Amino acid sequence: MSPLSSPAIIVPETLADALASLAELGADGTPLAGGTWIMRAPLRDEPMAHAYVALGRIAELRRIKISAKRVEIGASATHAMLAAALERCDDLAALRNAAAQSANPAIRHAATVGGNLCARRFPAPDLATALLGLDASVEVADAAGSERLTMEAFLAARGALGPGRIVTKVIVERTGHRSAHSRLPLRKAGDYPVAIVSVAVRLDDADRIVEARIAVGSVEGVPRRWTALEEALAGQPIAAVDVAAIARPRADRFTGRDGVEAPGWYRVHVLPVLVGRAFAALTSAAT
Amino acid sequence: MTIRLTLNGEEREFAAPPMTPLIDVLRDDCHLTGAKPVCREGFCGACMVLVDGIPTVSCLTPIALVEGGKVETVEGLTSADTPPPVQAALEAHDAVQCGMCFPGMVVSLTHLTQPGECDASRAAIKAGLTGHVCRCTGYERIVDAALAVMEGRQ
Ligand SMILES: Cc1cc2nc3c(=O)[nH]c(=O)nc-3n(C[C@@H](O)[C@@H](O)[C@H](O)COP(=O)(O)OP(=O)(O)OC[C@H]3O[C@@H](n4cnc5c(N)ncnc54)[C@H](O)[C@@H]3O)c2cc1C
Ligand code: FES
Repeated sequence: MSPLSSPAIIVPETLADALASLAELGADGTPLAGGTWIMRAPLRDEPMAHAYVALGRIAELRRIKISAKRVEIGASATHAMLAAALERCDDLAALRNAAAQSANPAIRHAATVGGNLCARRFPAPDLATALLGLDASVEVADAAGSERLTMEAFLAARGALGPGRIVTKVIVERTGHRSAHSRLPLRKAGDYPVAIVSVAVRLDDADRIVEARIAVGSVEGVPRRWTALEEALAGQPIAAVDVAAIARPRADRFTGRDGVEAPGWYRVHVLPVLVGRAFAALTSAAT
Repeated sequence: MTIRLTLNGEEREFAAPPMTPLIDVLRDDCHLTGAKPVCREGFCGACMVLVDGIPTVSCLTPIALVEGGKVETVEGLTSADTPPPVQAALEAHDAVQCGMCFPGMVVSLTHLTQPGECDASRAAIKAGLTGHVCRCTGYERIVDAALAVMEGRQ
């Protein structure tokens, strides 16, 4: 019997049942979404949980609601569902492209938003990085109720959600920003990105940058904002600014992690080019 | 746990621990060895099967999640006398080499060549085949064969 075979599984049909099962299991229970991260636990030398509570049959967790003001994304929506749902939301191009370009088609059909946010010690989450740039909030629930966290607070506590708690949805306010997602896999597609830069920018009537939010993933252990660059870009005219040049002396704010696919210094080294590409994608979307 | 599913058109029932990867049930219990566990990481595509019509890596799919579903392996993608269009085109384009990636390629190409699934362009076919690694690197002839099927000229 393989080490994968022993855990038990519960497949609830409603959110209330899932939360009740998780509450009962306590530290022995773990949510199971698409399984694309969990099923590789043995390869990472991590133990499997005693019991899994599968979230895939709970209809409300798979729903994506789009209005002019906001987009609410159920935690069990897959990458493929999200990319398709955002087809016409050009302001959320960063999230759409993060969902459409990560991994490969089969993984995108299985892997979920909740799994991307909650995979512990996963340094290269495309969706989490895009959602950080879009300043999304995350709803976390347990049997007693729910609370909303900013993406920043959620990422700071990632892996420490605590027993019995799950992400139910992610909320993105549509605030007139333009956005773009830029990633560098070693091959054209299909492997983990060496670095990810996801940006959301708001312009004034004269096309000057009012606010730039720049999220960087895969370079360090957890995605975070590049605040030194954000501050330097505020007030600049979008058409004339040389973003890569401004980024270059500010890249040392990051300490790259070494990994089999790339050394840490390389991840930092590519950031100015990636952020330049993201801004170029923004500018062309605007015309 | 007892799992019920439709496998290559037949209703089947298995007793398997729920987190067993689908690939292990297919190969060890059903002796369907077309799908191959090569990387067990979702990166190579050699274990691809259709679950409810969608290409799915069976190495990362716990058997419990396909309960009640419809699974088709490469062994099910046949016809009695003439080979189906994808297989015929792969043969005509001399695209088959060592055979390690091929069952998975056939599964994904069967899906991709359905009307409306993929543009008949080399770029779209390559994007659709991301996640399939051919160790013989015979990609271009595989793309030729897929294009031929899509353009109805195999
Ligand atoms: C071949 C391959 C390529 C990949 N490439 C990329 C890539 O390019 N970019 C990228 O971002 N990712 C990539 N991934 C990683 C991919 O596994 C995750 O991004 C994916 O989103 C995980 O989702 P899942 O539904 O499969 O999670 P699962 O494996 O089901 O769960 C992952 C973790 O999250 C927890 N969890 C799941 N849902 C919830 C919830 N609602 N609330 C609380 N906890 C929850 C689980 O308990 C578990 O700890 C790749 C994976 C593979 C196999
Ligand atoms: S064995 Fe499943 S993708 Fe490689």
